[in-house]
Amino acid sequence: MAAASSSDYDGCGAESNEANSKWLDAHYDPMANVHTFSACLALADLHGDGEYKLVVGDLGPGGQQPRLKVLKGPLVMTESPLPALPAAAATFLMEQHEPRTPALALASGPCVYVYKNLRPYFKFSLPQLPPNPLEQDLWNQAKEDRIDPLTLKEMLESIRETAEEPLSVQSLRFLQLELSEMEAFVNQHKSNSIKRQTVITTMTTLKKNLADEDAVSCLVLGTENKELLVLDPEAFTILAKMSLPSVPVFLEVSGQFDVEFRLAAACRNGNIYILRRDSKHPKYCIELSAQPVGLIRVHKVLVVGSTQDSLHGFTHKGKKLWTVQMPAAILTMNLLEQHSRGLQAVMAGLANGEVRIYRDKALLNVIHTPDAVTSLCFGRYGREDNTLIMTTRGGGLIIKILKRTAVFVEGGSEVGPPPAQAMKLNVPRKTRLYVDQTLREREAGTAMHRAFQTDLYLLRLRAARAYLQALESSLSPVSATAREPLKLHAVVQGLGPTFKLTLHLQNTSTARPVLGLLVCCLYNEALYSLPRAFFKVPLLVPGLNYPLETFVESLSNKGISDIIKVLVLREGQSAPLLSAHVNMPGSEGLAAA
Amino acid sequence: MGLLDRLSVLLGLKKKEVHVLCLGLDNSGKTTIINKLKPSNAQSQNILPTIGFSIEKFKSSSLSFTVFDMSGQGRYRNLWEHYYKEGQAIIFVVDSSDRLRMVVAKEELDTLLNHPDIKHRRIPILFFANKMDLRDAVTSVKVSQLLCLENIKDKPWHICASDAIKGEGLQEGVDWLQENNDSKQDIGRVIFGESDQPKSKDLKVLILEIPRKWLGQMY
Repeated sequence: MAAASSSDYDGCGAESNEANSKWLDAHYDPMANVHTFSACLALADLHGDGEYKLVVGDLGPGGQQPRLKVLKGPLVMTESPLPALPAAAATFLMEQHEPRTPALALASGPCVYVYKNLRPYFKFSLPQLPPNPLEQDLWNQAKEDRIDPLTLKEMLESIRETAEEPLSVQSLRFLQLELSEMEAFVNQHKSNSIKRQTVITTMTTLKKNLADEDAVSCLVLGTENKELLVLDPEAFTILAKMSLPSVPVFLEVSGQFDVEFRLAAACRNGNIYILRRDSKHPKYCIELSAQPVGLIRVHKVLVVGSTQDSLHGFTHKGKKLWTVQMPAAILTMNLLEQHSRGLQAVMAGLANGEVRIYRDKALLNVIHTPDAVTSLCFGRYGREDNTLIMTTRGGGLIIKILKRTAVFVEGGSEVGPPPAQAMKLNVPRKTRLYVDQTLREREAGTAMHRAFQTDLYLLRLRAARAYLQALESSLSPVSATAREPLKLHAVVQGLGPTFKLTLHLQNTSTARPVLGLLVCCLYNEALYSLPRAFFKVPLLVPGLNYPLETFVESLSNKGISDIIKVLVLREGQSAPLLSAHVNMPGSEGLAAA
Repeated sequence: MGLLDRLSVLLGLKKKEVHVLCLGLDNSGKTTIINKLKPSNAQSQNILPTIGFSIEKFKSSSLSFTVFDMSGQGRYRNLWEHYYKEGQAIIFVVDSSDRLRMVVAKEELDTLLNHPDIKHRRIPILFFANKMDLRDAVTSVKVSQLLCLENIKDKPWHICASDAIKGEGLQEGVDWLQENNDSKQDIGRVIFGESDQPKSKDLKVLILEIPRKWLGQMY
């Protein structure tokens, strides 16, 4: 019975292993097939029954089939297809009326789909952007057949290069087409009015005029055309519009819309812009050295995760407070807020399968997960206040519940110097032989010095002689002269009786080609036969390696091997520039066997 | 307890009183179970989440139960241990359809069993695997596996599947509780008030009260 229970329920076994862990393993399903990221997770009491559900904007296994999933407990409750890939999910209260069930907003493409009670309720589309008047004019001309497709293409291309406003989707599509397809495209689309639409990149909520848990919230949208929009919660009109120098990817808000608020937007250019109420443009700018991967506000500190595997803390005015280095790349970040103890901390899912929890610089807890976590969400789920929901890279779902008695303390063992420092140095031992040698050196030092110097003189003489001889007969495979910088080496391949002899010739000068070279092979004609023992070398371009191949056939049936000399000569000169000696291997042909 | 009370108990005029702690996570059905055990005219119609705790009374054939119906919400769970001393039996209610929080129930049960006031007392624990009527409910056998009940060696325990709204399974549990509450220690406690160890001479009186099937076990 005990075996059955532990194998049947994964939480039971894992918990007994980690008796002192702060987390209870409520659920682990590696096959849950949830592929999403932290921005697309939201927890809310969607039916008003006190049972909190998890809303997942699921991208699908290959990012192909976007779906809206609602999870209740460990299981998917409802699932519905989405028209496009979701960018963010948020839940918010639209109005003060009872029952106070929150609406679910899902940003996808240029629209925000609002669901109430899990039924489609409203679709908000971003306002269309004004098209370029020149472009508009061109298409109007096309409509009246006053312009042919080729001219239209040229004109559009010139607009694209010069005008600061980008072209519409229709024009961009037109520019991609082949000549043959243009005519049909213009005829089909000339009557359509050109549209320029943008896409939502990020979304978050901002309390309207009360800081309460159940206050009405506005949606804040970040768009691809570098704007931030604040929407009215009931009428879905635009309350405020702010512009940014770059495309926002992460948003963090605090305060209330009607009173005072601060908006921090992490952008694709690696900067964080901080906006306040009544400021249409960023007030402060934080420049990061790398792209941000997450932006979380903890009390008054903005915590940013960067692609350089580190967390940075900034004040709301953009002053850097601290930096913590992570052991692996940060995949996702989210806020851990424990209301009962008033704790706010940052969770970071790392590529090595850890989830680290930080309060400011202090590491509070590390959770080891079987797979790298790509999305994190902490809050009330089901009926449990402190639930951590994680989804893994492989699509698994992990749910952990924080124990009622768990308290996060900045514990952890003291980290001292690395263990490698305690290792002894690998100094070799000296034996008796060494001591005897030193004794001998002490006694007969003068004689040793003299004898060695004499030998060194002789060695230098012999080396110089041999070198001179090699120079005279051009035996070296690398030419030393500045006039003809060349390099040669020969390779023999094969087992015989036929071998492939490849000469690699290279011009090592910087910018001077070499012309008119010849290669000549000298060999014992009784032992080997070469189809061409003398051939011309093509023009050698500096830097390139020229493999020149010949086939050598071994004639001897006794397995005798010999040396083949390869000489590189200049036309009209008899002295070789350089040469290589190839030691032919013994033939393993039929004759030898 | 005065002399008169003791006499009336002995004569069977007044039922013995047993203090029971009703524990379990929030929304598991503790108050509904207690409510269903009360006589039909005393039952309340709508049940709201308990705040703090409430004291309820109901009677079975031979015992009179005083139940401390504790709130199971996270913020009230630290109140539980203040009543452990009074408890002579424990009813632990589990929502068998809430698979996700079964680990939390197990964690609370483990802390309960390891509490100094509970650990060395042989008090009976009755588990209700409640909400059996729900579609995603797990069986009582499964609940006992998930809670690792087989590890409870030093206390009598019993698990009943129940549906507290219809009242199914509750009587079985109360019957078991009644039988198991006649253990030596608890009878001593009831009859002799404060003293935990009954004097041997008085025990002879007790034997009259004990069901026949327990006789073999006691002596």
